[in-house]
Amino acid sequence: MAYEEVKVRKPLGLILLPFFSIFCFFGAWELIVRLGIVPATMLAAPSAVGNLFVEKLTNPNPDGATILVHAWVSMQEAFLGYLLALGIGLPLGLFMGWFGVVRGIARPIFELIRPIPPIAWIPLTVFWFGIGLWGKVFIIWLGGVVPCVINAFVGVRMTNPTLIQMARTYGASDWQIFKTLCVPSALPMVFGALQIALASCWTNLVAAELLAADQGLGYLITMGRRLALPDMVVLGMVSVGVMGALIGMVIDQVEKRLLAGIRR
Amino acid sequence: MVEMEEGIQRLGRQDRSIANEVQKSVRERRPLTLRRVITNEYFLHVVSSAAFLYLWHEVAASGVFKGGLCTPWEVVVRFRGLLTDTLAGLTLWGHIGASAQRIAIGFVLASVVAIPLGLFMALNPYVNAVVKPVFDIFKPMPPIAWVSIAILWFGVGEESKIFIIIIGTFVPCLLNAYNGIRLIEPELYDVIKVLGGKRWNEILQVSFPASFPAIFAGLQISLSLAWTCVLAAELVASRSGLGFIIVQGMKFTDAALVIGGMVMIALVAWVSSLLIAGLEKLLCPWRRDIRDL
Repeated sequence: MAYEEVKVRKPLGLILLPFFSIFCFFGAWELIVRLGIVPATMLAAPSAVGNLFVEKLTNPNPDGATILVHAWVSMQEAFLGYLLALGIGLPLGLFMGWFGVVRGIARPIFELIRPIPPIAWIPLTVFWFGIGLWGKVFIIWLGGVVPCVINAFVGVRMTNPTLIQMARTYGASDWQIFKTLCVPSALPMVFGALQIALASCWTNLVAAELLAADQGLGYLITMGRRLALPDMVVLGMVSVGVMGALIGMVIDQVEKRLLAGIRR
Repeated sequence: MVEMEEGIQRLGRQDRSIANEVQKSVRERRPLTLRRVITNEYFLHVVSSAAFLYLWHEVAASGVFKGGLCTPWEVVVRFRGLLTDTLAGLTLWGHIGASAQRIAIGFVLASVVAIPLGLFMALNPYVNAVVKPVFDIFKPMPPIAWVSIAILWFGVGEESKIFIIIIGTFVPCLLNAYNGIRLIEPELYDVIKVLGGKRWNEILQVSFPASFPAIFAGLQISLSLAWTCVLAAELVASRSGLGFIIVQGMKFTDAALVIGGMVMIALVAWVSSLLIAGLEKLLCPWRRDIRDL
């Protein structure tokens, strides 16, 4: 494509508007609480949430842990589930893509499990694992493993058939083709799965903690509701959002580094 | 995926012509050996499904999980009973209807607002500059994190559930409409410009039709998210719906109820995504050309 890169200067309005709109958003939020349009029992002003955050850094009451402990617990669960999902889902998806026998065996079971939202597993995991760490890890794993398998599978299936035919002509074995052709050509899709699985894991973490937990950011939200403390609910939501965004950025950077050699 | 495989198979059956040479593709009949039968994919499907059900049955019957697991047959019996008997005043159909109604209301409300907003954001930089930053604040928050505040705001009634569905479906709807327009190949706009079209022609004849497939992909994603959301909302507090069935099962350690509820959700979610796929075929027939290639 013969496009020339032209630097267009954004009009000043376009540069300022985002800041203006964020400012307005928080201003309006603060105002409707301060002026009592929305009662303080239903919504906390941003300033109150900020205060609570500073307080929760050191004070474990009334929910039993400081916010850093909650965040650390959530991180542990999320990463255990995420790594297990990658470790099991990606190889399974890759094998399913290339080996007909693996596909034949794994596909019906996978298709059975895929459409069930991981949240629906919560009661069963409570029966099986109790409300400890592993139950939550299981829910998070379920959330992460599905996109991993799908992406790895599709990645392998999208391998250029000409290359495979050529490799066959030169007498490559199935395993050699899988190792040297299918896996490398599936890599971009596999890295795509890293992001999708992470988002899914993080969502399901909150769900798992909402229903069965005694620590973690989701638990903080639940406790906020039970004690009718809107500032705690909002604090929990914001922490979940911020941490999710931060981890997403890190994964994004990792993905870029890893893909640097492939996409040229 | 299935369409693609079908397409490839169809190509294989015909004679392919590449440039000026014709490839004759004649299927060679391979002898029916034991190895071929065993490694046949469909045969393996049957074997693994049967093995799965058998294992499930054995594990459940052995009582390792006590009340935490039941045999597949018990699930079937339990749910056949629910077709006529009532659970908390509603039959199985009533519960499915309750969940589906919430989904339908929330999903329609969210998509009616989110899709036009996404289109506007992509078409007008000023709308984008105003909405995008606020949207970016909300984007990383999982919709399930809203369950608590929805209950604080709206109580445990219908409104809070619909609110959560709206929150959950809004993000993918908007993002896909937005990206659907932004990722259009610039050559298409160039064509309109060369033909002397106005900005209005660009929007009507390029932007909208070209973004349709992406919008429908967004609808599919948000529909499956909507099922997750409604489930989360119903698990936390409800008196009807499929999530309620699961919660009842959890309360009374009735594994048949829990597993049956899970299977029903999977089924209903699958049917509803088929509906969207059908709607897509109806509303944007040009998509089919891409698939058939």
